[in-house]
Amino acid sequence: MIFKRHTILASWYWLSAIFLFTPILISIVYSFNVGVLGKQTARFTGWTWAWYPAAWHDVSLCGALETSFLVAAAATAIVVIIGPMLGFALVRHPAAKMRAALLGLTFLLIVVPEIVIGTSLLLSFAALQVPLGPATLIVSVTPGGIAVMALVVRARASTLDAHLEEAAADLGSSNLQTARLIIFPQLRPAILTGALLAYAFCFDNLIIASFLTTATTNTLPVYLYGSLQYQPSPTVYVAAGFVFMFTSALLGLAGLSWHLASARRSDLPKGIET
Amino acid sequence: MHRQRHAFIHFCAGIPLVWLGVVFIVPLLISVVFSFGTNTFGGITFGFTLDNYRTALSGLYLAVLARTIAFAAGASFTCLVVAYPVAYFIAGRTGWQRTLCLVLILLPYFSSFLIRVMSLQILFSRDNILDAWLQRLHFATGPLDLINTPVAVLVGMVYAYLPIATVPIFLVLERIPPALRDASRDLGASYWQRFLTVTFPLSLPGVVTSALLTIVPMLGELVIPQLLGGGRGVLMGQIISSQYLQAQNYPLGASMAVILMLIVGVLLHLSWWLGRRLEGRVR
Amino acid sequence: MTDASQSVSRRAVLQMLAAASFAASDRARAAPSLNIYSWPNYFSGNDLAGFARQSGIVPNISNYDSNDILFSKLNSASGAGFDIVIPSSSWIAVLRQHGLLQEIDPARINLSTLAPALLGRPYDPENRYSIPKDWGVLGVVYDPAAVGGEISTWRDFLDASERPGVSGKVRLSSSAWEVIGIALWLQGKDWNAVDADAIRAAGDVLRPFMKHVSSFDALDPNELANGTIVMAQSNQSVARTALMLNPKLHWVVPKPMSEIWVDCYAIARNAPHVDAAYEFLSYQLRPDVQLQETVAIGFPAALAGLRDKVEPGVAHFDMIFGGKNLDIGKLTSFVVNPKTIGVYLQTQLELQAAAD
Repeated sequence: MIFKRHTILASWYWLSAIFLFTPILISIVYSFNVGVLGKQTARFTGWTWAWYPAAWHDVSLCGALETSFLVAAAATAIVVIIGPMLGFALVRHPAAKMRAALLGLTFLLIVVPEIVIGTSLLLSFAALQVPLGPATLIVSVTPGGIAVMALVVRARASTLDAHLEEAAADLGSSNLQTARLIIFPQLRPAILTGALLAYAFCFDNLIIASFLTTATTNTLPVYLYGSLQYQPSPTVYVAAGFVFMFTSALLGLAGLSWHLASARRSDLPKGIET
Repeated sequence: MHRQRHAFIHFCAGIPLVWLGVVFIVPLLISVVFSFGTNTFGGITFGFTLDNYRTALSGLYLAVLARTIAFAAGASFTCLVVAYPVAYFIAGRTGWQRTLCLVLILLPYFSSFLIRVMSLQILFSRDNILDAWLQRLHFATGPLDLINTPVAVLVGMVYAYLPIATVPIFLVLERIPPALRDASRDLGASYWQRFLTVTFPLSLPGVVTSALLTIVPMLGELVIPQLLGGGRGVLMGQIISSQYLQAQNYPLGASMAVILMLIVGVLLHLSWWLGRRLEGRVR
Repeated sequence: MTDASQSVSRRAVLQMLAAASFAASDRARAAPSLNIYSWPNYFSGNDLAGFARQSGIVPNISNYDSNDILFSKLNSASGAGFDIVIPSSSWIAVLRQHGLLQEIDPARINLSTLAPALLGRPYDPENRYSIPKDWGVLGVVYDPAAVGGEISTWRDFLDASERPGVSGKVRLSSSAWEVIGIALWLQGKDWNAVDADAIRAAGDVLRPFMKHVSSFDALDPNELANGTIVMAQSNQSVARTALMLNPKLHWVVPKPMSEIWVDCYAIARNAPHVDAAYEFLSYQLRPDVQLQETVAIGFPAALAGLRDKVEPGVAHFDMIFGGKNLDIGKLTSFVVNPKTIGVYLQTQLELQAAAD
């Protein structure tokens, strides 16, 4: 009986994983598709390597890829600093009204249609005479990332024992010490998860970015979406495959460090019964 | 001592407020002001009129709004039903297995979203390579013709938001002290009793977070219905976008956005109220 | 100690990132450069390389996916430093009225080699703001076996959509005017002259047919080749790909009227590199470049007599020009009118909603 229950659960998990991975594998397979007249087609018309050198030599595509990496990395750096603060305040702020307001703000960050943020930011930058560039794009994609980070941290922080922090304070620990020695270690897995999610969120942003790109700052999603108008070339699948490999490696490293960190913790988490 | 502690928390709340105030609230307020103005193609005459709201809440637009809410709720629910066992399974692993299982679910999220939707488009279309392989293995089912149907949009939504729905549930499940279940077991509770009386209620905050994290962006989703649904039976995101872009009618687009934000406000309030009830019951 | 050094290195990383981004924009400003804002994949790599060899300039190209985004970007006071933009014929008048384009100096550019049918069109009668780059037509690509014969008018198109093998396998354009145009043309009306009531009435004519439509999305030629879609509004380029995949398909530009759109070179107001822009335009208008661009992009450039210059070896080369006997002079171009575009759009949304 227990065996059967576990089997069903495990099958459910693995089916979901396959469901999630199939399109990615398909996108990699289709980066080798000959296509028709240089355009991608659902019918697989033959295998070729040709799109790989073609992608490498496509200046616009490579430029877009480079900008996307830069923007996502810089935005994530900002999110990692600000997001956890918000997430922690969401749980620990003494005033219930303030907590509710902060939570409202956090969800507002996610719900406001990106098109509204995009146009509003474009209008604001115009009103303030701020020239568009990499910096304005980076700043503009942070709110969504901050929201993701804050919510992940909040989910974790809400299960923490506030008495620990109070005890530390009572024992004469300064705020910084408490944050570093008590709060941060407990939130670390959540911050790491949040950072990765925020990175993907910032990297993938399409609509806000499409309003804030400039002649020298074009991102991959904007390029991809535009190419859909005229049937994309298989080279965009090459670029996407590269992004996936790169971020997978990043994630692998993060997962490893998380695993090592949690192994070092004395209270090795015990699995819940399944 | 407490004052010092409060200073820390105020700092934690203050920095994000300042940052978000500048890069988010101010632009948003501009939109709210816009929603009361009058349209001049690609520009605006400021003033105070409720005409935009009247338009946004009538006829076609109201119907689309209702349809969007129903669709997002259904898609979010489906997503949670899929995500909960996944999170539960991961939380049941230990050590490196747990890390690996979590990473596997999150990994697809790190491939470009658009490319994944484009691949789904290929997968939902006839004659794709997977079809060909399945046919060779004699699993041929005939053409599914999923592309350009509401089902395709639903599958696409579940697909896109499954990782993000899994994480909060997992994070909460992981923190449930095993002692609680052990105690329940010692008192003679069966597996299902333990799940229903201990694990599930304690995981509900995570479920509520997941629900919000999925339903909220689904309300404004733009790309999935366009690419997988063939642009039939439009959703709110498409309508707002077309007001802002094709019609260059910022005031009407802004008023629709404000309405969407109000709906989220209601949802938030609901979840907050739900969260308090849940906490009350557990304690 | 460790923590202090960690935070220092973190700060250093941030500074490096910021420095790198500023350095990148500095570099762009210093070197001779040219900023193009265009649809993706809209210039052949060979020609860009040729221009770089001739002028020493490697253009920065960034992309938009709709004219609306182009308008929003140019309409913003922040500006984005664009030199050359590629608006479609439909939006040129609006861009011009908002003062977002600068006048092209006729002395610095030679338009005499271009096809007369593409010059002096209503959206820019004297070509003071736009130079045709390439063009496309609105037609119908269909499977005669499913449709049960030939389609020659938009009436045939609507009637065919009701047939059992066709219903649910029809694709319409996502562009409001291309859909509503069907009814307006059948009524003998000019889509640039109609008022709001006429547009809504046209929508009413089309509404009963919406239940047969399966998609308003970008057309995938493969769906036409494999029968997911058997009849579609399309431009000639996608139709050409579909015909290559499935030679049984037919292509027609239906009567009594249909659309020609022209994507045009234009120079943005406040363009920072005007000289480079003219150099690029002159290069692009060279006959040999026009020919290469045509083959690479799959849409015909504006050069006069271009059809005779394309080598016969190019597959379905007639289709690049919209078919064998197409007279583009008889087709109409849509011009966005701020007064009616909202009505067009709302009508289209109603039609799309009715399709579900």
